[in-house]
Amino acid sequence: MRERMEKVDMVAKVARKVSGWIGWAFFLDLLDGLSLTLSYMFSKTITERYPDDEKWIPFPRYRGHHFLKSNAEGKTNCVACELCSRICPCRCITVVPHEDEDGERHPQVFEIDLGRCLFCGLCEDACPADAIALGRHYEFCDHDSKTLVVGRDALMAMPGKVERGGEVVAARLSTEVGVTVTATGDGEGVDWWRHIRRR
Amino acid sequence: MESFFAIGLIIGKLAVVIAILLVLPIPLTWIERKIAGHIQQRLGPMRVGWHGLLQPLADGIKLLTKEDHIPAEADRFLFTLAPIIALVPPFLVFVAIPIGDSVTIFGTEITLYLADMNVGLLYILAVAGIEVYGVIFAGWASNSKYAVLGSLRTCAQMISYEIPMGFSVIGVVMLAHSMSLLDIVEAQAGLWNVVYQPLGFFVFFVAGLAEAQRIPFDLPEAEGDLCAGYHTEYSGIRFSFFMISEYLIVVFLSALIVLLFFGGWHGILIPLPPVVWFLLKLSFFIWVFMWLRFTFPRYRYDQLMSIGWKVLLPLSLANILISGIFML
Repeated sequence: MRERMEKVDMVAKVARKVSGWIGWAFFLDLLDGLSLTLSYMFSKTITERYPDDEKWIPFPRYRGHHFLKSNAEGKTNCVACELCSRICPCRCITVVPHEDEDGERHPQVFEIDLGRCLFCGLCEDACPADAIALGRHYEFCDHDSKTLVVGRDALMAMPGKVERGGEVVAARLSTEVGVTVTATGDGEGVDWWRHIRRR
Repeated sequence: MESFFAIGLIIGKLAVVIAILLVLPIPLTWIERKIAGHIQQRLGPMRVGWHGLLQPLADGIKLLTKEDHIPAEADRFLFTLAPIIALVPPFLVFVAIPIGDSVTIFGTEITLYLADMNVGLLYILAVAGIEVYGVIFAGWASNSKYAVLGSLRTCAQMISYEIPMGFSVIGVVMLAHSMSLLDIVEAQAGLWNVVYQPLGFFVFFVAGLAEAQRIPFDLPEAEGDLCAGYHTEYSGIRFSFFMISEYLIVVFLSALIVLLFFGGWHGILIPLPPVVWFLLKLSFFIWVFMWLRFTFPRYRYDQLMSIGWKVLLPLSLANILISGIFML
């Protein structure tokens, strides 16, 4: 019995070796690679045509440009407690509080130096009034570091977080005033992962 | 009058061939970048023109306007000579390559080749061999270590792969009893040579890849270890001469493969004009060359040499022997 087993083992080993040699002689591994690249050549591409036709909408967890939330009357939620500026590891937030005509405490100056900010999101965590957060906007590079210091009103005008995100929507590149990529298709985008193969 | 007309016809054909060959690399670079992109699931050039069609033109303008730099320590004469020597042989080769038998336009019969030499194949292999001089001169004249290493590698590679390449076509010549490409194609009217000579085709194809310095045999310009090999120091229009020559060699090798092994302009099953058949096969092989380029990694130098001398040379000799036995 045992001898027979050994014999079977031997035959299988020799067969494996012979088939390996046949494969080597006929370049089976090269053909394997060629068939893979051929299938890729005729599959859908995964390129996101970013500035020209498409644009990625970030996820809600994305930490982009800061924005200040405002209440129903259009006033900022911020109570100028300066906790964000205290917790900021780069010391890039400047807050000067003042008392407005209704006797409420609001920031007179609220400046963020985006050139120094590392987008850690600690200001968002520290805020007790749910006023500052990091939103969806990510196209704000500039040649001049002075324009990267953003004031209160500009921060209030910034777009907030997205509901779902992670999609690619139709967009258009415009170079008329500066360089902007505006999303033209509103609402549903397409899943960026749609053509990516997962085995 | 007759002879004037004949001379005018030849000059006209020459002008057409030269114009086509000069323009051909422009679409080829676009196609190659598109194929590269799609194999890697990218789109390739997209921004200049429709689907990036004008990208090669933009590249050409960029190359023309770049500084034409000659290194201070370079041998100026050889440095300027080398790109021209690299560019001329691919043009010369196309003198002997027929793209069809003959067509009749306005009652006159026009042959679709410039010259039907009785030693056409020998001429082609000989002229194609000159190309190595351009590479050696370029590497030597640049006075740069990467360029010299690249040109030394090229020298060894092209000389060792020319031998199996030359031997592999002997089987074809034996079958056709002629070295004229027209006779070789006529001999394949029934059945293509690739059926009789699969081994010869294989050796010719692999050696052709090495002759064209394409991946997996692109050691002369291995960008990973040699910058760009022999044309490291070249820029501007001189660099584009090397690029044009490289693309023309790919076209010429595809044409030669079609003529020698795939029946030239003889079609199968679908009745199409012979020239269309030839161009279809030609573009298929150009595509195969590009497909291979973006599939395989580069061979190591010792592997390159052992493939050339220990595998391809014995195989090509065996091919001659087997063809001889079958013909007896």
